[in-house]
Amino acid sequence: MAYLPCGVYHERYRQEHAWWQTRFVRAKMGLLAALLLVFPLTTNPYLVSVANIVGYTILSALGVQLLIGVCGQITLGHAAFIAVGGYATAIGMLQYGLPYPVSLLVGAVLAGLWSVLFGLPSARVKGFYLIMTTMAAQFVTVDFIITQYVSRIGGRGHYFSLPPGTVTIGPWVIDSDLKAYYLMIALVVGSIAALANLLRTRVGRAWVAIRDNDIAAQTMGVNIVRYKLLAFFVAGVLGGIAGAFWISSLYFVSPEHFTLGWSLWLVGVVLIGGIGSLQGVVFGSLFVTLTLEALGFAVSGLRDLFPTLPDKFLYVKEGAFGLAIVFFLLYEPRGLAYRWQQMKNYFNLWPFAY
Amino acid sequence: MDTSGEILLEAVDLHMAFGGVHALRGVSLRIRQGEIFSLIGPNGAGKTVCLNCISGLYRPRSGRIVYAGEDITRLRPHQRAARGIARTFQRIELFGGMTVLDNIRLGRHLHMRSGLLAAAIYAGPSAREEVAHREFIEREIIDLLEITPIRHKIVEMLPYGLQKRVELARALALNPRLILLDEPMAGLNLEEVEDMARFIVDINEEPRWRVNCLLAEHDMGVVMDLSHRVAVLNFGEKIAEGTPAEVQATPEVIQAYLGEAEGLYASRR
Ligand SMILES: Nc1ncnc2c1ncn2[C@@H]1O[C@H](COP(=O)(O)OP(=O)(O)OP(=O)(O)O)[C@@H](O)[C@H]1O
Ligand SMILES: [Mg+2]
Repeated sequence: MAYLPCGVYHERYRQEHAWWQTRFVRAKMGLLAALLLVFPLTTNPYLVSVANIVGYTILSALGVQLLIGVCGQITLGHAAFIAVGGYATAIGMLQYGLPYPVSLLVGAVLAGLWSVLFGLPSARVKGFYLIMTTMAAQFVTVDFIITQYVSRIGGRGHYFSLPPGTVTIGPWVIDSDLKAYYLMIALVVGSIAALANLLRTRVGRAWVAIRDNDIAAQTMGVNIVRYKLLAFFVAGVLGGIAGAFWISSLYFVSPEHFTLGWSLWLVGVVLIGGIGSLQGVVFGSLFVTLTLEALGFAVSGLRDLFPTLPDKFLYVKEGAFGLAIVFFLLYEPRGLAYRWQQMKNYFNLWPFAY
Repeated sequence: MDTSGEILLEAVDLHMAFGGVHALRGVSLRIRQGEIFSLIGPNGAGKTVCLNCISGLYRPRSGRIVYAGEDITRLRPHQRAARGIARTFQRIELFGGMTVLDNIRLGRHLHMRSGLLAAAIYAGPSAREEVAHREFIEREIIDLLEITPIRHKIVEMLPYGLQKRVELARALALNPRLILLDEPMAGLNLEEVEDMARFIVDINEEPRWRVNCLLAEHDMGVVMDLSHRVAVLNFGEKIAEGTPAEVQATPEVIQAYLGEAEGLYASRR
């Protein structure tokens, strides 16, 4: 729970329902927005590409957070829906000549519907069995349908490449990391805002109620099957948007991008950032991506000492990630977002700590 | 009090078994419009099972449940809620991680309209709806149940007595016609019992609410004071029914409770 700074009270419910309730917070958010907009203009291209990976991770993990953290439905197959979004967008542009924004929408809706299909068992099963069906989504979608059938469409070989200049929004051609960065910011901000709005209204409360106590939720009039499927739909749509962004920043798409490993990775991001929190998704994605890049530098720096290390980097990376998750589960089970909230509350209540 | 009124809820010949345990053996109940109706009986008599059948969490093996003239035996719990049946639980079933206000807001679920798109955009209809329901909750429920100071608190941090009150608040938010209260007094201290009894009478009598109550309760004192009519269950069978005075004078009831006489008065856990 967040506290307001000492001495701030509201006179109307409207104000209390607002996201940013004091002028100070609004100023802070304005500053953050300005920072995000000028950031890529002031740094080197490498950092911009890292920022794009962070953004892609955020977009990917939002759906996982919604299912696991908000609605309590475990999913280990989210990469499948990202793949559906990526492939549908690519096919929409390459095969049918649709503009990018239209393909993105089609891809997002298809990913949402595909996700509902694999969410259907959640009406009957929980926990372990749901893990199995969501993993089935992973294998059926990526390893079977996409690899065996979808990849053959148009005879393009195993992966679809999008020639530079394919991804355009109106007259705006997205052909550099810098441009992809601005697309990423728009998608991330839009997705987080939409999800945050859902969470503070009827739909989001029903999701949290299902997570906290599904029996009570039913008796209060929540159609839990319907709302679980709605959560799968929205999570799928968010995954689809992530996939559509991915192809705009990489110019090609291949089944190898959407492995079970990536699905598990996203669950880890959510655990590290903080279960149930949208801020947590941002913190988790930043932490994981930046740590990984730092590790990459460390590994190449140590190449002289241990010549075989770069070959083993994959294992180092996964090992470090596993360790980080274990560390967080043991010492910070509520994730980075909780720590951040604690810090903020401390300053807000200052100088009266209680 | 008009006791010859129209029948709101009728349970006909409910049977329910768990393995070898016959929890209900042909229980029939009739709750009339405007009543506080109590179900009493020793531990394990089948009171909770009976409420679960009425709210739809259990499906009776046989028997029918008719509510406001409609057979609701096959409806799912959320469909029964939509027809105006709300409930509280013997062991509190709140949404622990939410604030008191959000718990009560969830109770307004059926009265809100915002769909996916409107809610995602928020500005406009969805925001107006949130504010309107907030006003309703503050004015009608939070004031009535005297929980103003705790409305922003996380529910699982609250003491037991207040949690019971929040559960009642959440059920009221549904704007129900019938409320099923499963041992609302259990675990409360004397003062809290008095408050709770007052709230139950308030929601039953205030023209604004006029909620019918089906109360499953151990506390004989409370039951006899509040109820218009009482039914007594023992081992899944109804052994008596009538006004509190009639029931207290029934030999079977005295017998059923005799072995438990101490338990009866010390039953506030
Ligand atoms: N889900 C269940 N599975 C198995 N047996 C059950 C279940 N629910 C209730 N029972 C059994 O049914 C019988 C009636 O239980 P019930 O909970 O209705 O009693 P009660 O009258 O509410 O008692 P108490 O005053 O202790 O709450 C008991 O013997 C109980 O063990
Ligand atoms: Mg009981």
